[in-house]
Amino acid sequence: MMDNVIEISSLYFSYGNKEVLKNLSLSIPRGKIVCLMGQNGSGKTTLIDAIMGLNPIKQGNIIINGKEIKTLKTMDIAKQIAYVPQLHNIRFPYTVKEIVMMGRTAYMGLFGGPKKKDEEIAMESLERVGIVEYADRPYSQLSGGEIKLVLLARALGQSTDIIIMDEPTAHLDLKNELIFLEMVSKIVVEEQKTVLIATHSPEHAFYFERLQTNVEAALVKDGEIYKIGAPSEVITKESIKEVFDVDADIITTLTEDGIEEKTLCLRKTTNEKE
Amino acid sequence: MMKKVAINKRALQISLYVLFAVLPFIAIFVSLFIGNYHLTGKEVFDILFHPNDVTINQYVVVWHLRLPRAIAAAMVGAALSVSGAAYQGVFRNPLVNSGMLGVSNGAGFGACFAIILLGGGVLTYFTSFAFAVLAVTLAWLAGRVYGHTTTTSLILGGVVISALFSALISIMKFVADPYSQLPAITFWFMGSFASINYTHFWAFIPMGVGMILIFISRWQINVLSMGDREAKALGVNVKLFKLLIIGGATLATASAVCISGTIGWVGLVVPHIGRMIVGNNNKKLIPISAAIGASFMVIVDIIARSVTTSELPVGIITAIIGTPFFIYLLKKTKGKQWNDG
Repeated sequence: MMDNVIEISSLYFSYGNKEVLKNLSLSIPRGKIVCLMGQNGSGKTTLIDAIMGLNPIKQGNIIINGKEIKTLKTMDIAKQIAYVPQLHNIRFPYTVKEIVMMGRTAYMGLFGGPKKKDEEIAMESLERVGIVEYADRPYSQLSGGEIKLVLLARALGQSTDIIIMDEPTAHLDLKNELIFLEMVSKIVVEEQKTVLIATHSPEHAFYFERLQTNVEAALVKDGEIYKIGAPSEVITKESIKEVFDVDADIITTLTEDGIEEKTLCLRKTTNEKE
Repeated sequence: MMKKVAINKRALQISLYVLFAVLPFIAIFVSLFIGNYHLTGKEVFDILFHPNDVTINQYVVVWHLRLPRAIAAAMVGAALSVSGAAYQGVFRNPLVNSGMLGVSNGAGFGACFAIILLGGGVLTYFTSFAFAVLAVTLAWLAGRVYGHTTTTSLILGGVVISALFSALISIMKFVADPYSQLPAITFWFMGSFASINYTHFWAFIPMGVGMILIFISRWQINVLSMGDREAKALGVNVKLFKLLIIGGATLATASAVCISGTIGWVGLVVPHIGRMIVGNNNKKLIPISAAIGASFMVIVDIIARSVTTSELPVGIITAIIGTPFFIYLLKKTKGKQWNDG
């Protein structure tokens, strides 16, 4: 048996009568980035919620580091999986350090707050993502890119094997998007963390592949994994048409060093319906 | 150089906390010296430290009127402020106060009920407490009708139930005797510590339990203010802590309101004064809100019973002296960390 940190087998999930996940199976080994792609409503978020134990599982199984998710308490799941949310609307201007320390909550026992050690780990995490100088700033004064780095630091401070990210670079400008992706790649390479990213951008998967990071693209269609594998093999003209219902070309260029680079070029929406 | 600055900052912080910890006790002590019954400073010292050498009237004024009153004011102020801060965090809304979820109107209806149907008196405390708790329970249930208790549905439940009890209060006022019962009801809604004595101290038990529940969950309030989904992902048992915190705030507010009547303003604004001083981390905010609320309420009560020969209701003074103070603080700190983003 391989060292799979996430092992999902024949998972079903439905909201009322609407079946969202159908017989979905997915194995993710340690130290891998998996880019989860699919249309809105294809079941990505439902899948993410199920992995984090937010959706009760009726049929099928999710095993995290050898333990069934059903048997784990909220606190134990939080020691295995950290979460970088998409939208983040904070009503109270906590300081950056306070936000990052919240990542330590699972280690504080049922009651109780942060200890000296939690503060040290929080500062260390901020250092790792390169924004330690923001520690005492109110979170509300940060830019979108800085906020994402704070949330990444919080996830690092949570000391988990797995980090799940829900469209982490939405609303970021090009540079901030790249800073964030570089940081993710660095974490996976240096710390053997496993990262599951829900993303709408095939470029993310291609980017990680170019860096030769251990990456797979997983295409979700109608609550099933349609295809999973190396981005350049999985993200093709055909699969894009099948999964996203759009016509697109994948353009391959050669860099000066002779490395193949792939880019997605959108053409038009597909109108034909069966 | 940096090190020295850090130490000074730390020392400043510690002395700030010590100051706030002793502030309510100073306020209570000072309140013993002030009031309509004229006593000199020396007389009060004699009453406190040589109780055998003073007249019975003097003894009663300080030990049985001013002291229990000041202690009750401090407890009520702390309870309302702590509950307000807790609600603001859990409901992720800086504009809610301790009266949301229907506590105040529930308690008010209970008080009317006792005043009109049961002849008032001691029963007023119990009916107002009971109806306050009932109102929150109903709000919780009304929120659940929607499905699971999301924050919004719970707030909506509170609004609906508050409105219901407000209507019931109007009915009670409508049928009340306009010469005896109606004034009693009106005064109840303005809040007062005038009738407080040691027999009311039973209310400190639920008040204390409520505040302790909030106190031990105060870090989790921070995490809950990130929203349910994130709080779960960060490892917090959301259902359990919402129950503990909302239950604690309800207990504290209901038992405060039942002995003092409704006192507005404090539960909304004191937490914000706390935020301006120590920031938004509930680890610090909850204790500082308790200290500020307690001191503030004792001072308000001193003013209420000494500014004119007849007593003013405290509910009036909280807003009259609190509002300019709040605006001053807002100007001073420029509400700097808030943005509407």
